[in-house]
Amino acid sequence: MRLRRHSAEHGEGSHCIDLAPMLDFVLNLLIFFIITAVFVKELGLMVNRPQGVQEPVKSEGDAGSIPIQITANGEIYVDNRVVDLRAVRPNIERLFAVNPKSGVLIITDKNAETGVLTQVVDEVHLGGIYNITFTTSN
Amino acid sequence: MKARHTATETEDHGIDLAPMLDFVLNLLIFFIITTSFVKEAGVVVTRAEAETAESRESGNILIAVRDNGEIWMDRRQVDLREVRAVIERMHVERPEDTVVIVADKSSRAGVVAQVMDEVRAGGIKDVALGAAPGAGG
Repeated sequence: MRLRRHSAEHGEGSHCIDLAPMLDFVLNLLIFFIITAVFVKELGLMVNRPQGVQEPVKSEGDAGSIPIQITANGEIYVDNRVVDLRAVRPNIERLFAVNPKSGVLIITDKNAETGVLTQVVDEVHLGGIYNITFTTSN
Repeated sequence: MKARHTATETEDHGIDLAPMLDFVLNLLIFFIITTSFVKEAGVVVTRAEAETAESRESGNILIAVRDNGEIWMDRRQVDLREVRAVIERMHVERPEDTVVIVADKSSRAGVVAQVMDEVRAGGIKDVALGAAPGAGG
């Protein structure tokens, strides 16, 4: 008994630090970081913007691109014909088969809904074209 | 003689904490390094669904465009003209960051296009259009 007390008071106190509080602190830090680590996997669709000035591009500006127009009320024109959203994909597949190097130029009205734009981009992706340029018109 | 005695005493009582401490510190450092510092937009928007949306590993600056045209980034509402300055600052801080523009389903495409241009003018060329993983085609 006496020996133990002796060692506790003098021996340990003099030449080692008590690690327990530090350990608590470090573990708390660790738990904090594990909890606050934001594992956000943000999903996104890549689209290009035309380089240079923000001029509304003419639909025939680029010979190799398939024009898709979206009007303010949500109508979709592929190759100057009105098509349904579900018909975008077959149209794109057909045009892509004709010219496999072509990209897609989406000309959106400024007041068109972004939801329609996103869906069109998705359909074009499904149709096999990932080179999409997105521009707006008045 | 006294010292030797203390040594045996400590051996009896306590576990050796040093390896555990090393391990925990390593874990801590690992988590600090791998934490992706996502700059959240601060508002909830209804995203459009897209099947082909791909996961953006480093997409960590989120810009939200609400249906009424408000632009939110870094947990506050910003003006369109502010976007460029904020992006420039963030780009200097962490040059490898990329931007995801999370636009509401019924927001206007014109605003999204303008935001995209401002971001590109601010120096970040890697801009994606945010989408939700969708079932509908």
